[in-house]
Amino acid sequence: MSYLVEHPMRVGLLAAGHLELVGLALVVALALALPIGLFAARRPRLAPWLLGTLGAIYTIPSLALLAVLVQLFGLGFAPIFVALVVYAQFMLARNVVAGITGVERAQVDAAFGSGMSAGQVLWRVELPQAMPVLIGGVRIAAIAMIAIATLGGYVGGVGLGVLIFNGLTLHQPQMIVAGSLAVSALAILVDLLLRLAERYARA
Amino acid sequence: MNASVPGTMPPASITFERVTVRYPGSPKNAVEEVSLGIAGGELVVLLGPSGCGKSTLLRTVNRLVALSGGRVLVGGNDVAETDPVELRRGIGYVIQAIGLFTNMNVGQNVAVVPSLLGWNASEIDARVDELLRLIGLDPAAYRQRRPRELSGGEAQRIGVARAIAARPRALLMDEPFGAVDVVVRTALQRELVRIVAELRTTTLFVTHDVEEAFRLADRIVVMRDGRIEQIAEPIELFEHPQTPYVRELVHAGDEVYRRYFMRGRELLRAK
Amino acid sequence: MITRRRAIALAAAAPLTARCAFDGSAIRVGSKNFTESFVIAEIYAQSLEAAGLRVERLFNLGSTQIAMAAMARGNIDLYPEYTGTALIDVLHLPPISDSRRAYAVVSRLFAQRYAITWLTPSPMNDSQALATTRAVAVSDRLSTLSDVARAAPHLRLATIQEFLARPDGLPGLQRFYGGFYFREARTYDIALKYQALIEGKADVASAFTTDGAIATDALVVLRDDRHFWSAYNVAPVVRAATLAARPQIAGILDAVSPAITDRAAQTMNAAVENLQQDPADVAGAFLRKRQNAIVRGAKS
Repeated sequence: MSYLVEHPMRVGLLAAGHLELVGLALVVALALALPIGLFAARRPRLAPWLLGTLGAIYTIPSLALLAVLVQLFGLGFAPIFVALVVYAQFMLARNVVAGITGVERAQVDAAFGSGMSAGQVLWRVELPQAMPVLIGGVRIAAIAMIAIATLGGYVGGVGLGVLIFNGLTLHQPQMIVAGSLAVSALAILVDLLLRLAERYARA
Repeated sequence: MNASVPGTMPPASITFERVTVRYPGSPKNAVEEVSLGIAGGELVVLLGPSGCGKSTLLRTVNRLVALSGGRVLVGGNDVAETDPVELRRGIGYVIQAIGLFTNMNVGQNVAVVPSLLGWNASEIDARVDELLRLIGLDPAAYRQRRPRELSGGEAQRIGVARAIAARPRALLMDEPFGAVDVVVRTALQRELVRIVAELRTTTLFVTHDVEEAFRLADRIVVMRDGRIEQIAEPIELFEHPQTPYVRELVHAGDEVYRRYFMRGRELLRAK
Repeated sequence: MITRRRAIALAAAAPLTARCAFDGSAIRVGSKNFTESFVIAEIYAQSLEAAGLRVERLFNLGSTQIAMAAMARGNIDLYPEYTGTALIDVLHLPPISDSRRAYAVVSRLFAQRYAITWLTPSPMNDSQALATTRAVAVSDRLSTLSDVARAAPHLRLATIQEFLARPDGLPGLQRFYGGFYFREARTYDIALKYQALIEGKADVASAFTTDGAIATDALVVLRDDRHFWSAYNVAPVVRAATLAARPQIAGILDAVSPAITDRAAQTMNAAVENLQQDPADVAGAFLRKRQNAIVRGAKS
């Protein structure tokens, strides 16, 4: 606790770096998960296989995946960034599928029958209605990514994980505590903000 | 053929030439060699039990169902040679579950096809007001409402308004009034007859309800197991049923039923 | 709804583009995974920042191998390395106890083989050592490593894994001092090693001469009378390419390196290990004190 009080700038900067890492990864992950999710949503027979594969990837221990990525990308921002994007796919794609398939079939039928192209059906009917579920998926993914991003302190010198891993190496528990508390606070804050967004989208 | 210019096109004929449909993975045809000609402005009812292929046949007209054999012509043009999106914007489509878009309000729902066709904002606004009045709803009160705030009857009326908003040359209706109660259904049927008479839109109407068929149809097409049993004007079915199934369906020979069905038809058209 | 979504996407894309634009301009300073490396790397990093350069820190790299690999890939631009470590662990050469000669060899070969430049070394010599408690030193009459070799069969060693594995750790020491074996050699976590010694669970512990923990009266460092261990002077090692692009790095770090003495290192290590201070704060205090001393010196 005392560390947080004595080093607000340092913790603040690391927190900003943590948010930047997670934020960027989330944007890129979403850009990938949307087409993947849409692909799966349109193919009900293929969907369980696709989501199952992403789920299997999700169970790979993060450190193991990170080790492989460090081999490919070296140390720094890149490996942890890629790891976050990969892990987020499962949660995001799954919610894209749930959101899209959750739209009333009759509405989709009426949309096509009215002469909307597939893209217009998606943009004007399916996505707006899938929004609350999508944002819910983003929220869950964001929380998980905030946690996994602590490993950025291990391989990249990025984020609040730096406090935790430095604290471990230097045997300074108050650094570890400070880092952990800050990560938790960040997760709670992000959760709150996204819950508000979810509620707003439902309205 | 510019379907976006309001009210200039005559109602389209619909022709089925030996239409066959088989769903993938199904052992038999849902629709088997159906040939049928519908003249512009006619209201034709496809009548039959569930699974007889009537809905499938209906959906071949706007290409929501793909043909396995034969041709469908709308206004003389093979639908297979028309861009499906363009085709559907010129044909109204009403379904039993209605499918009003819950992320839009009533006005936006009704305005869907005109907006897809690129009408300008003032044209759209005027048309929405006109349509709401046509179906007996006050535009000021209903424009901003959301679908979940509507009763069954109101929702179905708005579904019809949405379907005819861009003055389509043909109208497809798949058991549209099945989900509402009897009193509301009669009101809706009356309104449909009035609207169709006014707009002279060619209408293809699917139902399993014999009474509804008798009330609405210029001609009835009785279907069973993917085939046509008989095509005839309502009274003709009653007086000259061509198959035992048709006879049983319409209670041919039973004077009470005959009077009942024909009375319903009259009531619907009373001023 | 549509325009709002687009706005959010743009807002999120901005830091990405900003990061791509900025990435080239930061100097990445690395450190290995022990206290002293953190402190010295912080001294380097803060000196560069004080001169107006942007610095990114990639500390806590697991080992010399990882640090060198990171240098080779360009993941880091510089880090603090020891002449002895470079000689033995990287170049696989025998130890050189003369500081100047050790430095000459490593700087020549690193430049040749790895395109890495050694900047001015610090006087601080963080060599390896064996330490014992005052009590054991008296009771077993230990003051030099030869004494230890003689008494080894009834001495218990507390050490870390690396000491058992590295060629200039226990294996080399044993061979150099005529072949001896400890009664038992147990590995501990770095923090608990001295604890074991103090609690009497071990008689001798491996150590580094600048360890903060040794700066107490209770522990005694045993003299390397036959000069087994190499010189271990620390210096910034920089990628030649980075130095070519930013030659000012040399001047900045060369100015501060001479101030890192044995005493300074011990004090800073103790501050981090015993007083639980943040290495960044300790390095900052060191630099400020030095800055004041320079100003005072200039005034007089």
